[in-house]
Parts: sequence; C-alpha cells; structure tokens
Amino acid sequence: MTTSASFTSKDLYEVYKKALKILIVDENIRGLIRSGAMHPVYYSPRGQEIVAAAMGVHLEPTDYLCTIYRGVHDQVAKGMPLDVLLAEYFMKVTGACKGKGGAMHITHPASGVMVTTGVVGSSMPIANGMAWASQIKGDDRVSVATFGDGASNIGAFHEALNMAAVWKLPTIFLCQNNRYQECTQYADSTSCEKISDRAAAYGPNMVGVSVDGNDAEEMWNAMRDAVARARSGAGPTLIEANTFRYMGHYFGDQAPYIPKEELAAEMAKDPMIRIRQQVLDSGVATEDDLVALKAELEAEFEAAVQFAKDSPEPELDEVYKDIYGAA
Amino acid sequence: MSTEVRIPSIGFSTQEATLAEWMVADGATVEKGAPLYALELDKSTQEIESPASGTLRIKVEAGEVCEIGSLIAEIV
Repeated sequence: MTTSASFTSKDLYEVYKKALKILIVDENIRGLIRSGAMHPVYYSPRGQEIVAAAMGVHLEPTDYLCTIYRGVHDQVAKGMPLDVLLAEYFMKVTGACKGKGGAMHITHPASGVMVTTGVVGSSMPIANGMAWASQIKGDDRVSVATFGDGASNIGAFHEALNMAAVWKLPTIFLCQNNRYQECTQYADSTSCEKISDRAAAYGPNMVGVSVDGNDAEEMWNAMRDAVARARSGAGPTLIEANTFRYMGHYFGDQAPYIPKEELAAEMAKDPMIRIRQQVLDSGVATEDDLVALKAELEAEFEAAVQFAKDSPEPELDEVYKDIYGAA
Repeated sequence: MSTEVRIPSIGFSTQEATLAEWMVADGATVEKGAPLYALELDKSTQEIESPASGTLRIKVEAGEVCEIGSLIAEIV
C-alpha cells in the first residue's frame, strides 16, 4: 500500500477503515462466543485497534507479520481474508490451518501472517528469521513482530533485538503496551519507565520510540519511519505503542486487578470514538459514508461466518498430516 | 430463522457452568444485546447477552448445571 509522506485526512480514513473492521470482527467474535456458537480461547484486542490499523496501512501484502494470541487486530490489519480466519475459529477444514490450529495459531502466508504464537516473547526471534531471509534474498520485505509489554521482559526480547541490531535486519519490533501483563500491572514487573528506553542497549543500529498508539497520526508516523528505515537497509526499530485493553486478559476475565477508576478513565478515552470524530471533522467522509462502511463490513463478517458454518470439520485422518515425524 | 442459545466457553478449563437465572421469561420478547441469563462459574457469575432479537423459547430451567456447548434456549 502506498502512503503519503505526511499524514493527511485520506490516511486518517484508511486507518479508520481498518480499525473499524477490527472492531466489528472483535465485537462479533465475542457475540458468537457468548451465544455458544463457537468455543475458542479468545483474547480481545478491544482498545488496541488503532495500533494495528496504523501498522497495516504501511505494509505491503508481501511483508511479514508475526503476531501473538491477542492478535486478531493484527491479522485483520494485515489483510487476512475473514472467511479463512473465521473458518479457523470454527475449526473447519476451510480455515487458514485446516481447522487444526484454532484461534491462537492463525497462520496465513498468502496475506503475510506468518505465525500467531501462544508462547510469550516468541514472535520476535521468528520475525528475525523472516527478516534475515529477506535480507539474504534482497526481496525488500519488512518483518513486523508484535508483542505485549510483558514479553519485553522475556529473554528472547533481548536476544532478538541484539541480533537484529548487529545484522541491521529489516525487523520492526512493535510492542503494544496495554499496561497489564495478564493480571500484573506494568510497574510491578518492568524495570524501566518506557519500553523504548531499552533500545539504547542495542547500540546505534537500533532506534527506539514511544508513541500514543491510540492516536492515529502518532502511530502512523512511527510506522512510516520504521518501515522506511527497515526497507532502506538502515536497520530495526523498537516502537512502543501505548494503549490499553478494555476486555481483560482472556474472554470472560472480570479483571478485578484493574482499579475501577483506571478502567473508567481509559474507557472514557475510547480510541474508536475519538478517531470516528476525527474522520468526520476532517471532512474526508460524511456520517452517511461511515454508516454505509459499517454496514458493508458487518455484511462481510456475516458472509464469513456463514462460510465457516457451512464448511465441514476435518476428517480424523488429518491428525497426522502437516506434522514432523512419522505417525 | 431461529438462533440457538448455547452455554459459552468462558475462560480456561471450564467444563460446565450453572445456569443461575433467566432474566427473560419463556415466551417473552428479547432484544439482541440485552441481558438474557446469568451464568455461574467457579469464580464468578456473569450476565450473558442475548445473541438475537425475537421470542425466547427456554429449554433448560434455571438452577441446572450445564455442559459447555449445550443448548439451553432458542430465539425464534
């Protein structure tokens, strides 16, 4: 996707379109789980839509993404088709992993979603591997590893950032700092004030920035710079996108560990309400346009759910296919 | 077209849950998104929203312990 040099109202609208799609997918998935229609272990990205949307608009379909279990926003932003995504949630043969991976392991190389990992911290070294391959082949691709603030305390974070800096890999380390690591507050487990402070440890080849990930323009600018840097061969970037998750850790988590006042203050700053108003104020779209866009995206989701429901489940003989070693 | 209401999978390693209370009477009209019933889990009780609008046809009475995925009502 081609984006302009500086943030315009058209860019704002492109971010909004992706963010709204993420919101609709997330809300409808939660609705399907609540009604008992499907039973994935689900980690809602509600509140983090802008981070992923502003990432997605800067990436080409051929660029690589390594995401984590709270990753549906990243997958949708990367352009993954909803039919294969939903079919995998329903664990059907038409799903991205033939119904054998499920919601926590979405992989769809055709749209550059190379892995969704449940192992905290493991998206980073995998993204380095992709980036190294791109560097060797000279194919001009960038790799993005997304992860949370908790994952920045995992050893693999240090190993991956060090190696990326030494080899000037085209990797973008996108830390979505949503303030809670499962049930633990940021300050209770993380030594530095900002995740981006850690970039300094990896020398001049690593750039570290902290932005308001819920602000479309700030997030868009940070991704633009990181992608340009990676594609030019200048090296990796660590972006700390500050955000918040509204729905707790896992679906059904009542999040008693989040102070009510903190949650209320964050909910009052809902980035989806803010960006919608910004779009309208910019004049790039009208209220009618936004209503039509929402209806279009809802219809796309409904069609994907129908496709998933109509698809067959995997046969038993699939169990020993697509794995290493003899059955 | 009717919509099935099944016991959702909430959280980890939940095998069953108690259907604590229906918030809408059998045969009454319910709106999508409105509280439909209360589900009692090991550590919490949650209100579950209605997945559709229509007339509620209750199949399992309040107080029953239900397996995840079991059919408890239809909305027609």
